[in-house]
Amino acid sequence: MTGAFLEVRDLHVDFPTDDGTVHAVAGASFSVSPGSTMAIVGESGSGKSVTAQAIMGLLNPRAAQVSGHVFLNGTDLLECEPDDVRRMRGSVMSMIFQDPLSSLHPFYRIGDQLVEAVRVHQNVSKSQARDMAIDGLRRVGIPAPERRVDDYPHQLSGGMRQRVMIAMALINGPDLLIADEPTTALDVTVQAQIIDLMMELQEQTGTTMVVITHDLGVVAEMAKDVCVMYGGRIVEHGSTDDIYYRTSMPYTQGLLSSVPRLDEVRSERLDPIPGNPPSLIRLPSGCVFHPRCRERSRVEDDLCRTLEPELLEVSPGHTARCHLVDGTGGAP
Amino acid sequence: MIRVRRGAAIAATAVIASLVLAACGGSDGGTAEEGAAAEGTAESAPAEESAEAGGAGQPGGTLTILTSAEQFLTLDPQVVYTGEDLAFLGATIQRSLTAYQVAEGDVEGTTLVPDMATDTGTASEGGKVWSFTLRDGITWEDGAPVTCADVAYGTSRQFDIGLAEGGPVYAVTYLDIPTNEDGSSQYLGPVDGTGQDLFDKAVTCSDDNKTITFMLNQPVPDFNYSVTLGFSPVPAGMVTGEEYANKPMSNGPYKIQEYTKGPGGNLTLVRNENWSKDSDPYRLALPDSWVVNFGIEETVGEQRVMQSSGEDAYAMVQSLTTASLPVVFEDAQYESRRIDAFDAYTIYAAINTEKVPDEKVRQAIGVALDREALLLNAGGTFGGDYADGAVKPNIGIDYAPTGLWDDLLGAPVPPNGDPELAKKLLAEAGASDLTITLDYGQSEDNDKAAAIWVESLARAGITVKPNPIERGQYYGVVFDNPNEVMLGGWGADWPNASTVLPPLFVQGWNLSRVNDEAYAEKVKVASQELDRQKQAELWHELSKEAAKKMWIVPTRFGRDQRLAGTNVGPIFSWSAYGSYPYPNMYAVQ
Amino acid sequence: MGAYVLRRVLIMLLLLLLLSFAVFVLFSLLPADVARLTCGKICTDQTIELNRIRLGLDKSVFEQYWLFLSAIFVGRTYGVGEGAVVCEAPCLGWSFTKSEPVLELILDRLPTTIFLALGAFVLFLIGGVLLGIYSALRRGGWQDKAITGVALVGYSLPSFFFGLVVIYFVIIRWQILPFPRYEHPWDDPVQFVQTMILPWLVLAILYAAFYTRLTRSQMLETLGDDYIRTARAKGLPERTVIGKHALRAGLTPIVTAAGLDLAGLLGGAIILEAIFSLPGLGSLAISSVTNPDQSILVGVTLITATFVIIANLVVDILYAYIDPRVRAS
Repeated sequence: MTGAFLEVRDLHVDFPTDDGTVHAVAGASFSVSPGSTMAIVGESGSGKSVTAQAIMGLLNPRAAQVSGHVFLNGTDLLECEPDDVRRMRGSVMSMIFQDPLSSLHPFYRIGDQLVEAVRVHQNVSKSQARDMAIDGLRRVGIPAPERRVDDYPHQLSGGMRQRVMIAMALINGPDLLIADEPTTALDVTVQAQIIDLMMELQEQTGTTMVVITHDLGVVAEMAKDVCVMYGGRIVEHGSTDDIYYRTSMPYTQGLLSSVPRLDEVRSERLDPIPGNPPSLIRLPSGCVFHPRCRERSRVEDDLCRTLEPELLEVSPGHTARCHLVDGTGGAP
Repeated sequence: MIRVRRGAAIAATAVIASLVLAACGGSDGGTAEEGAAAEGTAESAPAEESAEAGGAGQPGGTLTILTSAEQFLTLDPQVVYTGEDLAFLGATIQRSLTAYQVAEGDVEGTTLVPDMATDTGTASEGGKVWSFTLRDGITWEDGAPVTCADVAYGTSRQFDIGLAEGGPVYAVTYLDIPTNEDGSSQYLGPVDGTGQDLFDKAVTCSDDNKTITFMLNQPVPDFNYSVTLGFSPVPAGMVTGEEYANKPMSNGPYKIQEYTKGPGGNLTLVRNENWSKDSDPYRLALPDSWVVNFGIEETVGEQRVMQSSGEDAYAMVQSLTTASLPVVFEDAQYESRRIDAFDAYTIYAAINTEKVPDEKVRQAIGVALDREALLLNAGGTFGGDYADGAVKPNIGIDYAPTGLWDDLLGAPVPPNGDPELAKKLLAEAGASDLTITLDYGQSEDNDKAAAIWVESLARAGITVKPNPIERGQYYGVVFDNPNEVMLGGWGADWPNASTVLPPLFVQGWNLSRVNDEAYAEKVKVASQELDRQKQAELWHELSKEAAKKMWIVPTRFGRDQRLAGTNVGPIFSWSAYGSYPYPNMYAVQ
Repeated sequence: MGAYVLRRVLIMLLLLLLLSFAVFVLFSLLPADVARLTCGKICTDQTIELNRIRLGLDKSVFEQYWLFLSAIFVGRTYGVGEGAVVCEAPCLGWSFTKSEPVLELILDRLPTTIFLALGAFVLFLIGGVLLGIYSALRRGGWQDKAITGVALVGYSLPSFFFGLVVIYFVIIRWQILPFPRYEHPWDDPVQFVQTMILPWLVLAILYAAFYTRLTRSQMLETLGDDYIRTARAKGLPERTVIGKHALRAGLTPIVTAAGLDLAGLLGGAIILEAIFSLPGLGSLAISSVTNPDQSILVGVTLITATFVIIANLVVDILYAYIDPRVRAS
């Protein structure tokens, strides 16, 4: 896949535990082209956050076994020395997290936390770094950044904190920004502001973004491409339109019907997916989704239970992992 | 009574004695000498070492005493009143007119011999006047001669510092000085000076300032023993306040080089160049120096002496903890350097004769009591021997078995008591439903002892109500307000039953409130008997009578145990003080 | 911050006052009759009564407390006439068994205790925290298991037993060090170190065990926190992540425990002072129990309690310094 800025190929992440090995990610592959936004969608436990942390090299090597390839601008991060990856974190690639309050260190001034982020990667003086921090805060729309820079996280509102997190992530001008549930912990009105801010900043900087979310509204607004993950696997992958309007996987359908949609007037009530996400230690046989799948009966020979489907092409650039996909580009 | 110094140990057992003694002087019965143990005196002081006792040691070196105490209670010769301190300080820096022979054995080790005096004193007027003549060449550490005036001055200090600080005050008791109506002396001591002329009449010096004469208010045949206590000289006219307790002037073979109190502190004694051997045939004074190390935790101290490596070969401890007794007394390697001997105390229970006037009832109490359990509670054979009277064997010739538990009560009484005999005695007395209250100074061990009382007397139908009393106030309470039975302990001040039977059963420490005029008269006769052998026989009879009348139930003759390093000699218990034989000790070179 | 400190200091002074009253009343409620205890051998009712008056025991507890309190500022004279004893301000009472002002006795013993406490404190805090961090980072590894195991043993060792064992082997058996004989460092620094090294190490091992465990659990807790992930995501080196972000966040309970432990040690390590023959506050307290001297006990209790209260204050101020959220509330 030439032209991709980030390419994940056959990523596996296992966590050995006393109860057995947790297969958090099993063979995920996707790519993101420079300057575009890719969304990873799924329920909690689907492996989306682990995927993000695996890309960032944030998984504890003593706890997690990571294999496969993560190419960033052509370099395989999984082949790199941990310290080299560490140097890329915060500079070439950055990440923001779900809960800005717990993600900022409660005991340090936000300015100090920003300055620290600058000075670990750039050889600048403290006062230069402080100026950069104030600039960064201004860029994310924090009023009176000269004063705010000396505040502690608990003195800011939730939206302001997430702005600080974004400022911190972007302060070294990264080429890749991974946002892990960036709006989940925020008020609805603030959510929109943060999404707008991120899109605006992406426009200015051309940063490649991966947005991890379970909020399909966010996906619709921000992403060009979408990966849907379930049970550690990518179960559907395609453009946002493909996913929304040409849904090829029953799980994705379930996801879509379980959230209220503003762009469609629907008469039916919300329809959540029955059952619970699978145990990642003892995955169901066959298709990992089959115990919860409503379309199962449409497949012959109980194939869903016995054979795991391949990720098959529904249409160019649109793939899905379902026996109902015939693999010739036809819709189920 | 001679007091026992105990270290400031964490162990509760050691605390009890010092608490009680600090209060008024006495052992509260059954707890003072915990942790004692086992074999006989003869075993612990082997015969071949008796020769060394005579003085076969080598001069030189340093002997070290490891003690958990943080300091000496006092070094003031008029205040010192604990057996171990009297023995040690007397051996080193404080000579007296007379002293006890340094020898093994209860009789040999309590034989009076001259020290500063040329002989053991001359009595006249039937023991009412006593004279002592000083040897030639006795000096203070500054070289000045020790004179009769110094002895008189030291004696006079009994009237102020001695009284105030709880020292021995036999001068106050015996000197022929008029008293006020309340019994206090009209002489107030050298500091105040009131009545000095009265004192100067009672204590006189010869013209050559060598012979001191004491005029007494009664015949005291054993006054020459009492001069070992508190009659040590102090330079006449020396201004002596409390600081004298820390830096007394020495007239002995050593002098104080350093005295720092507290943990890590020490008393260091070095040779007194002005002491002349010619003036002192009594002491061998072999080591070049003595060091007393304070604040050594008991277990640490005894481990050091047990290991006995390096300098510790020259060290000794004055007591052993219960935990280490079995080790020390079962391992042959300690055989030649351990001591298990009587201490100063007889442990008893006084029966208040005012509340229990019937002799048979008192006997029933004594007969029913399980003395075996009490002894076990006190540490078994390390704790002591069964007592058969108030007078203890290590007093010397004044002890003779009373036969109390053999035939004195008509039948032998086993150590664990004889409830049937007790019931019989009660029946004879016509007593039924007897209930008595037992006073005791509260401690864990005394609580157990009280339980033994309750249980064993219940077998004879006697109900015992334990009455624990805070230890610091124990004697104050029981003297003012006694119940039927009180636990107690008593030790002789010098080896004469005159310091045991009169105070316990006539006046002084009469917890039993005995008011027996015939007995008192016999005690008076015995006290004033000049023939020592005859006096001893009189005491034997009186001790037997007291035992039979069961004014006290004697339960235990206390023992204590000690251990010295491999290069310390000689090893035996000096009966006079129940201490090491300090005057003749040496460091093996 | 200044106002906060001032407020806390005022509260502390009030607390001290209350505490001194409580200690005073508590000791005066003890059944021991001080007048009798300080009476001497020839103890008549008359002397006891005189003693009672001399010691002010004839007055009510409140009056006695007032006398005690005012003595701190203006001194006090016990008794009248020739037998009178003057205790100059600041007077924390008079020891009749040692014939010295209580404060002087305490000040005499304080340096030893302070040296013992501080030396051990530095050792066990640094040792314990470093081992705890290391253990947390090697969680589940053999190093972690070894450290946790040793810490568990160290934590449960009785200090008396452990101290004795150390003395037995190091001093008595192998004679590596001379017998402890305390000297102030300004008098004899070599002797000072030789005497203190073992009690320092013994105390340090006993206490470090606790700090190892505490630090380990604290680190494990904070290492899982979101801001640690943020710190890593920023590309901070692991040393900074652990030493700065994680440690500071996990510091508060450690500071609390350390402050109180130091205060406790400053009140005298009773058992270790005894077995190492150190003339500190602990042995002073012990000797005033065995040879009863209530005035010393009151003094030592008050001083120890004062250390605890001051330690609490320092800990609270450190809290505010460590955690800005505390300052706000």
